[in-house]
Amino acid sequence: MEEVGLAGLAAVSALGRGAEAQLAGALAGTAPFTTVQRFPIERHRVKVAATLPDAGTLSDELADVIDQACTQAGLTHDERAATPLMLAVHAFPDAPRVSLDRWRTPAELAESLSGTVGTGPVARVYTSACVSGSTAVAEAAGMIRTGRAERVVVAGGYLVESDQFALFDAGRTLATDGAVRPFSVGRTGLLLGDAVAAVVLESVAVTRRRARTELAQLVGWGRAGDAFHAVQPHPQGDGMARAISAALRRAGIEPDALGYVNAHGTGTPYSDTAEAAALHRALGPAAARIPISSTKATHGHALEASALIELVVTVLAMRAGKLPVNAGFLAPDEDCELNVITSGPRSVNSDHALSVNAAFGGANTALVVKTP
Amino acid sequence: MIAAELTVVSQASWPEPDDRELPPVPGFILSSFNPLVAEVADRCLRRHYGEPPLTPERGGAVAMIIVSASGDAVSADHVARTVDAGSRVGPLFFFQSVPNAIAGHVAARWGLGGPVVCLCPTGDPRANGLAQAAALIEDGDASAALVVLVEQESQVDGGPAGAAAVLVCTEGQ
Repeated sequence: MEEVGLAGLAAVSALGRGAEAQLAGALAGTAPFTTVQRFPIERHRVKVAATLPDAGTLSDELADVIDQACTQAGLTHDERAATPLMLAVHAFPDAPRVSLDRWRTPAELAESLSGTVGTGPVARVYTSACVSGSTAVAEAAGMIRTGRAERVVVAGGYLVESDQFALFDAGRTLATDGAVRPFSVGRTGLLLGDAVAAVVLESVAVTRRRARTELAQLVGWGRAGDAFHAVQPHPQGDGMARAISAALRRAGIEPDALGYVNAHGTGTPYSDTAEAAALHRALGPAAARIPISSTKATHGHALEASALIELVVTVLAMRAGKLPVNAGFLAPDEDCELNVITSGPRSVNSDHALSVNAAFGGANTALVVKTP
Repeated sequence: MIAAELTVVSQASWPEPDDRELPPVPGFILSSFNPLVAEVADRCLRRHYGEPPLTPERGGAVAMIIVSASGDAVSADHVARTVDAGSRVGPLFFFQSVPNAIAGHVAARWGLGGPVVCLCPTGDPRANGLAQAAALIEDGDASAALVVLVEQESQVDGGPAGAAAVLVCTEGQ
C-alpha cells in the first residue's frame, strides 16, 4: 500500500489570502466577523459573517487556489494535466438565478475549473454539506493508497451568499452575540465565513521521486454515520466516535499519540456537546488531555469548504509547532470536558493531529495527519 | 473495474407500475426531491432486509449515497425567489437545504451507520454511485451501500422527476 502525503496546499478566507495568512490569523485568534456588505441583510436576525472584502467569484477563487496548490507541489504541466480533480461545493454558484434554459450543476463548475486550471479529468464532485471536503480527501487518499491514482487535487469553496445566509438565519443557528465560542459556556451558535482551499494529495513515494518533500502525511481517515436523525448529531457522538476510531486504526496509532485536535466545533450548543462526547468515546482519557481548538471561531463556518480550510490550518500549525487558539472562549462548559486552547498559541509536543468534521444527515469524518 | 466486483442485492425505482402519489415525508415540504429519495430507499431496503430498523450488526456499516445532478432544485429555487422578494425563508427549508438531511432521515429510520455521502455525478450517475460504493467498501468504512439516484429533470417548471435505488455489497456479504 502506498503512503499518502500532502504535496501542496492553498487557501483564502476572511483571515487573508494565502495559506500563511490562515495560520497567522488562527494562531492570533483573529475573529474577522463584521456586518455583511455583500447582500441586503436588514431583515435578518443576525447580520455578521467573516467575509473577504476583495473576494472574486467562487469559480475564480477556486481556480486560484488549485493553481497555487499545484504550483507549491511543483507539478509540471504534464503532471498537472494527469492529476484528477475532486471538488466540494454546495451547488453551481447562484444556480437558481443563472439557470435560465437548464439547471446548472456543480459538475459543470468542476469541468470548467479543470479546463481553466489544466488539471486532469474531474474524478468526483461532493455535495455532502459540511463534510464534503473531508469526504473528498478520504476518497482521494483511498485511491492513492491502493494505487488507483498517484495524485489527486481536492478543492472546495464557499463564499457567504444571500440564500444560505437566509436559511441559516431562519434555522436560528447563527450566533446572536457576534462571536463563535466553541465548547464555551454562553455559546449561541455558528457564524458563516468565506473559505476556498485546495490540497494536492500524492503518493509519498511519488513526491520523493520528484525530488520533493511532502508537507505532511495523511496517515488516517474515517467516515461514519450516526443513524440517528435527519439533521441533529447523535447526542453521544456515536458516528463521529466511529469515524475517529477508524482513522486512528488506519493510522496505526493510539489516542495518546495525538498532539492536537482541530475540532468541528461550530459553537452550536447541542453540536459541541455531542462532539465532546464523541471525542471522549473515541479517545478515552486522552480526550481531556489533548490540546483542542476549533478554528471556526476565526475563519467562520465555510460549510462545504470547512474541512479543507481546517486541514490546511492543521497541517500548517503542526509544521510550525504552534497550535491555534480557540477564539471566543468565555469559560469551560461542564458538558465539554476538553483541553481547550484558551490562550495561545500553544506549542505542540507530538507529530500527529486529528481533524474532525460533521454534517447534517449524521455524516462524520476524521482525518489524521503526521508532520515531519 | 472495482464497481464490477459489487453484487446488486436489490433495486427499486419511482415510478414503478401502479405508482400514483408519492408519499410525503414528515418535516420535508414543497419539493419532490426528499420524498423521492425516501420512497426508493425504503422500497430497496425493504426488498432485501424486510422491516426497519436493522440491528447494528446488519446496518452499522451500510453506507448511504445520494447521487444527483440537480440536487433539490425546487427548494433552492423557492429559497432564491423568497430571498429576492425580501421575504423570510421558512425554517423547514433550512433543514432540507442539503441532500444530507434526507440521507440522514433514511439512515436513522433503517439504522444505517455507514458513511453518508452526496455526489453530483460527473458522468453516468449510476456508475458514479457504484464507484463511490465500491471505494467505501474496499477502503473498509462500509460493508454495503445504498445508492440512490435522483433527479428533478424539469425542476423549475414542475416537470416529471424520478429516482432509483440500488443496494450493493461485495460478494459473499
